[in-house]
Amino acid sequence: MKRNTNWLLATALLVGGLVAAGTAAAQVTVEVMNPRGEIPPPPTIGINPRVPDLAGKKIVLVDNGKFGADNFLEVVAQLLKQKYPTATIVMYPKPAAQTITDMPKWYPTVKQQGDLFVFGVGD
Amino acid sequence: MPGVYFTTSEFLEDAQSAAKDRGMPGIRMLALPADTYYRARSSQKELQPIAAAFIDKMVDELTRPLTAEEAKPSQVQKQFERANIKVTAKSYEDAYQKVNDLFLDSHWADGLPIVPPTPKLVKAMLAATTRSPQELLGQAAPKQGTVTVEKVAVNSVMAGAKPEYFPVILAAMDGFLDKKYDLTHVQASTGSFTPVVVVSGPIGKELGFNSGIGMLGHGFRANSTVGRALRLSLLNLGQTWPQVNDMALTGRLESYTFFTFAEDQEKSPWEPYDVSLGYKPEESTVTVATVGNPLVLGGGAVAPWTGQGVIDQIVARISGGGGFAWFHSQTYVLVLIPDCAVDLANAGYTRKSLQAYLYEKSRLPFEKLSPATVKLTHEATADGRISPEHAQVFLDNLKPGGRVPIVQSPDDFHIFVAGGSPGYDLLFTYPGPNWAHQTKKISGATLTKAGK
Repeated sequence: MKRNTNWLLATALLVGGLVAAGTAAAQVTVEVMNPRGEIPPPPTIGINPRVPDLAGKKIVLVDNGKFGADNFLEVVAQLLKQKYPTATIVMYPKPAAQTITDMPKWYPTVKQQGDLFVFGVGD
Repeated sequence: MPGVYFTTSEFLEDAQSAAKDRGMPGIRMLALPADTYYRARSSQKELQPIAAAFIDKMVDELTRPLTAEEAKPSQVQKQFERANIKVTAKSYEDAYQKVNDLFLDSHWADGLPIVPPTPKLVKAMLAATTRSPQELLGQAAPKQGTVTVEKVAVNSVMAGAKPEYFPVILAAMDGFLDKKYDLTHVQASTGSFTPVVVVSGPIGKELGFNSGIGMLGHGFRANSTVGRALRLSLLNLGQTWPQVNDMALTGRLESYTFFTFAEDQEKSPWEPYDVSLGYKPEESTVTVATVGNPLVLGGGAVAPWTGQGVIDQIVARISGGGGFAWFHSQTYVLVLIPDCAVDLANAGYTRKSLQAYLYEKSRLPFEKLSPATVKLTHEATADGRISPEHAQVFLDNLKPGGRVPIVQSPDDFHIFVAGGSPGYDLLFTYPGPNWAHQTKKISGATLTKAGK
């Protein structure tokens, strides 16, 4: 009787173990869709070559219209004049009606007025 | 022309992100320390040491020869994978958790758990419209992500929207993606602008939108999940993230669901808003508009009020300006509670006459305008931002003794009727630089009587 009980116990443990092992091994896979859209990459453009020296250059300081940018660029202008007395500093307040995305409208004027530019202050 | 771009430390990542978006990853930038620049910027004296610390760096950026990568940057590849994602786990509960962790950690969700967008659920969402899953709705700012009907469906499932809401969500996206809607501003601005989303026509009632007490609050699935579907769609398809390229300084109010509600047509004394625009009464529409914080008016349950008193309070508020203003794009969304609208109607106001009253009474004396506003308004009349139809009124009044309109037309006061009884009236203002207001017809619905 005792022997039979042991066999029953052993069998029960084996079956229980297999079930447990089966449960442990079972996995579920959930497939979900990507919520993001593709971004068509824009053509990349290099930046313009630098100048070797600022001496004698026309430097346009573009004020983006944000509060305090005019003050900051005014100080930059003073510092540039001290450092490069032969440079010409042009202050250019960007038209208020035009945002950064309207750059094609105001950039030609900036380009016409100088050799290089400083833009600020965003934001 | 060589140049250098000054930003601040808090906006450097935003600026770099924008430079990449526009195909110029090599733009040379200098970041001023935000903790000192903003407090010093009123004073050249206080700015002096800050600028002095950067002058040599600035000169270096303008003179240092380009690297090969700066001169000819490598072509940017597609930034995100569109394929489905498979998540394996020990149980469905674990898989649900893993999907949420993935979406939240990847910045594909709004910070709250989402419904996993399985193909089966997305298919059910798509079945609510006759519009093709591959239909291109447009490109979403700021990264110009491609928006298709299917992608909006994925985000709508995530938001917990019922499929029958989907045609409303699509029409709202049509509005946001209209080329005449400045989506960049509401997606990225430092101001805490937020969209307002108003459903007009019979579909509002059919879908159970709340138009009464608590209409901007929680608890109403149509209001909450339509708004959230739009929030997630704009987040994922325009691809924004706070502190990266969504720079709303205090966050956007009602950021999770936007200000989403329906007009209460049954209690309104006037024709539906969209009928005033020329739509048929049996049609349904959704209006999307970028707005700032609402001004709360009226007495609610605690104080007396009159309709005339409410609109005069509005006039006093909106004509109190004198600082910088973009009159060419300014719009107002006025939400009157039914009791107030009825009071005004009993006093003889129609929607049109109320718009005309607000337009006339809010005009500003020329002498109150700042020089910057005068200059800007002249520019806007010259470059067509103020339409030729309205330009002459501005030109005639941009001089001493003139009274300048604060909007292009009386129609820029958009009047809706909704809210509780008792309730509060709401005035949403939009002082943005470009137009951000659109109404679109809801169409293609397969699960509702309205919006077919």
